[in-house]
Amino acid sequence: MLFDESTLRKLDQLALVAGRVRAGQMKGERRSTKRGMSIEFADYRDYVRGDDLRRVDWNVYARLERPFIKLFEEEEDLAVHVIVDASRSMNWPPDSMSGDADSAKQRNKFQYAVHLAAALGHIALAAGDRLTVTAITGGGLPTTRFGPTRGRGGTARMLKFLGDLKPEGLTDLDGALRNYVIASHRAGLAFVITDLFSPAGYQSGLSALQSKGHEVGLIHVLAPEEVDPPLAGDLQLLDVETGDPQDVSVDGPLRDLYKRRVQSWRDEIEAHCLKRGAHYVPVTTDTKWDQIVLYQMRRMGIVK
Amino acid sequence: MSFLTPLFLSLSALAAPIIILYMLKLRRRETEVSSVMLWRMVLRDREANAPWQRLRRNILLLLQLLLLALLVVALARPFLPVPVVASGQITVLLDASASMNAADVQPSRFEEAKKIARGLANDLSDESLMTLILVSEQPGVIASASGDKRELIAAIDSAKPSVGIANWEAAFALAAGANGSVANSTTVLISDGGLPEKSPPLTGEVRYVPIGTESANLAVSALSIRPGPGGPQVFASVTNYGEAEAKTILTLNLDGELFNAQQLTVSPGKTSNVILTAYEGVVRAEAVLSPPAGVTTTDYLPADDRGFAVYNPPQSGRVLFLSNQGNRYIEQLLAAFPGIEPYRAPVDSPLPSDPFDLYVYDGAISSELPAKELLIFNPPPNALFNIDGEFAPALASAVTTAEDDPLLQFVDLSNVHILKAVDAQTPAWARALASIEGKPLIFYGTLERRRIVVFTFDLRDSDLPLQIAYPILMSNLIEWLTPSTVISADDIIHPGDSVTIRPAVGEQAVGIFAPDDQLFTAGVTNAGALFADTTQLGIYGVGTASAQEGGKFAGFFAVNLFSARESNIQPAATLTVGRAQVAASVRDQVGQRELWPFVAAAALAILLIEWWVYHRGSSLPAAPGWRGLFQRKKAGA
Repeated sequence: MLFDESTLRKLDQLALVAGRVRAGQMKGERRSTKRGMSIEFADYRDYVRGDDLRRVDWNVYARLERPFIKLFEEEEDLAVHVIVDASRSMNWPPDSMSGDADSAKQRNKFQYAVHLAAALGHIALAAGDRLTVTAITGGGLPTTRFGPTRGRGGTARMLKFLGDLKPEGLTDLDGALRNYVIASHRAGLAFVITDLFSPAGYQSGLSALQSKGHEVGLIHVLAPEEVDPPLAGDLQLLDVETGDPQDVSVDGPLRDLYKRRVQSWRDEIEAHCLKRGAHYVPVTTDTKWDQIVLYQMRRMGIVK
Repeated sequence: MSFLTPLFLSLSALAAPIIILYMLKLRRRETEVSSVMLWRMVLRDREANAPWQRLRRNILLLLQLLLLALLVVALARPFLPVPVVASGQITVLLDASASMNAADVQPSRFEEAKKIARGLANDLSDESLMTLILVSEQPGVIASASGDKRELIAAIDSAKPSVGIANWEAAFALAAGANGSVANSTTVLISDGGLPEKSPPLTGEVRYVPIGTESANLAVSALSIRPGPGGPQVFASVTNYGEAEAKTILTLNLDGELFNAQQLTVSPGKTSNVILTAYEGVVRAEAVLSPPAGVTTTDYLPADDRGFAVYNPPQSGRVLFLSNQGNRYIEQLLAAFPGIEPYRAPVDSPLPSDPFDLYVYDGAISSELPAKELLIFNPPPNALFNIDGEFAPALASAVTTAEDDPLLQFVDLSNVHILKAVDAQTPAWARALASIEGKPLIFYGTLERRRIVVFTFDLRDSDLPLQIAYPILMSNLIEWLTPSTVISADDIIHPGDSVTIRPAVGEQAVGIFAPDDQLFTAGVTNAGALFADTTQLGIYGVGTASAQEGGKFAGFFAVNLFSARESNIQPAATLTVGRAQVAASVRDQVGQRELWPFVAAAALAILLIEWWVYHRGSSLPAAPGWRGLFQRKKAGA
């Protein structure tokens, strides 16, 4: 099981927040831009022929002798998309690394991403939102998908689905996101959980999501070993995802340069996201995942 | 610049393997990472930002080649020719006498002299040898014909100045021995002068490095206590060796208590004398010079600002004349000596229990001799020496004497005639003062710690008592036989002088307390105990010990500088050695100053820089340096 009871209870208190309210297909627990049938009064408008007479405000008619139609806010569901990067680079640090298997497991980016996805999914299901969870793996095609599903009853299935995922293959994040958009989903809140180790870039994929009308939250997961690498000496680095070798002689200045480069890379991504109105959540896996959901994302206004 | 061991330069061939090691491709450790994307960005950034970074490895190579070059140069021992005072076979006479303690050059003249000696040793050329002689009251060779600069400098560093008077004669003898038969030897005198008027010549060249600049010095030049009409009189002298009038306070302590203090004004080159009457029973005196309050008197040499004296009052000697028939010559003479109380007793009468200081026998001898000083005339056969009948020397036979003996001072025995004498042999413990026809007439010596004088003839069988020599000879002998103290030494004991302690019969050990309370013990031989560790100025206490009575206090003696040669600290411009005048020397010889310590230090610095360049900023424990270069390629994972 990914969560214990107390964590689930905590997650139950949360709801996802979409900045722009979206049109939904089913009645849900959210305010819609559409005016309609609910108890929340929104506005009046003139009666035109064909309107439902039940919605005429007779009190106003009695006073003004003109018929007005009462408009109510429509409450509806939200489409929530959780897209998890399941490429091989996400499986880092591997269990074999750094002695203590438990701590390595805790810091494993993929496990971390699965936890975050499960938390977000649970929040969405608990709030009656329409949840789709997708893992993007090798080949650039989203091969595995869960949902769309509504209702708390889907939580167990979602957890099983996430628990069965394996990080494999190469990532082309851009291509995978574009394909996801093409596959014609209802626009909504889209969380992308990835390490962004995608040489082809991520910008056009994010743009495609946004152009479809999605509100994007980019959760950027890095392991502490990637932020401050425990490497020194003359090394031939092998990319665990692509197998590409890279010769490098690591010394103090280079390590400092690397650390500065990681920071500036994150800053670039953040600036890009800010410009496009996307949420950017930088995460290192030595922070507890529930702190990210319960504190950091709440602080950023993604959950409430 | 040249090299002493240029063969080591061939080691620079070691540069080849270093370069080859660098040319071999570096074997890199394979390490998996989640992505090389960021690393590639970093490397792109760096090459764009600082292209010279790629040269870093080459900098390491250059540093290592530089390090090798420095080590090779250091091994080849480079040197620079420098001008020095002397080269070749050098004998350095390092003055360590009291005047070298003067502080007119900081920290002291002796330290300055050591600095110059160190400089000489440092600049010693490769084939030169140096002998170091420390000239104190007992000169000694501290480094003998050595070319090892470290040994020489260690010897110089360990040298300490004395408070005594330099014995230049002995030092010159040592220098002559060190120079030996070497043709072009050089003797370097590092000194402030103070050589005696007549010093023996030295072979080879003599060079003089003067030390010191000033002459201002006040000294206690004499201190003594003598018997006077109204009690013991203390006599003190203060001499100003400087060139300006000086004021000082002379403080006189008697037996450790302040007795008198007075201010003296001493003209340059003059001596002020102070005579004070002390109290009866005074034993020790100390005179101390100190500057008066508010007066700035320069006094560069503190060693001679103190004087010490010990009062040994004349003792009345009790003399027992043992004779059956009496002898007018002897009795009248003994009665005439001041401080002598003569008594007379028959030869074989029982001896009184209170021992006398001297027993005089004439023509007979007790069967049991007392264990005290003996003066024997015309001895019968006895246990002390052999007697073989009598003989009558010919009238023409002349008396031969041991002329150099102090007991014969002012004594002329050439006109003495002897009618007959006993035919005695001079025993091994004795020395003949006078003899005739090869047979001793008078001999003296110390046997079992008692002093014995023997006349082998009856005074009535010679014309000696009628001559002027008789009272003088007897006075000398009685004085020798009844010394006032167990300590016998010159009137003034300088540092390094020896002191003879002659304890009473039966006392086996002597202990001497130096002024710093250090205890010296000495076994006692037939002639007493000889103490020569008089290296400190001050008052020494002497105790004797016997198995029967235990230890007892025996007296004091004082060791003083009291030397005009040392107190006059004016550095000499020239020295007289033999007949030659030696002026201050100039550096006109070529020495070799070795540079390898500097080169080695530079190599160490380069090594540290290389280490720093390699590890700059890195705090990781497992940085593979040279180790990584040879490390086996790590397998797979």
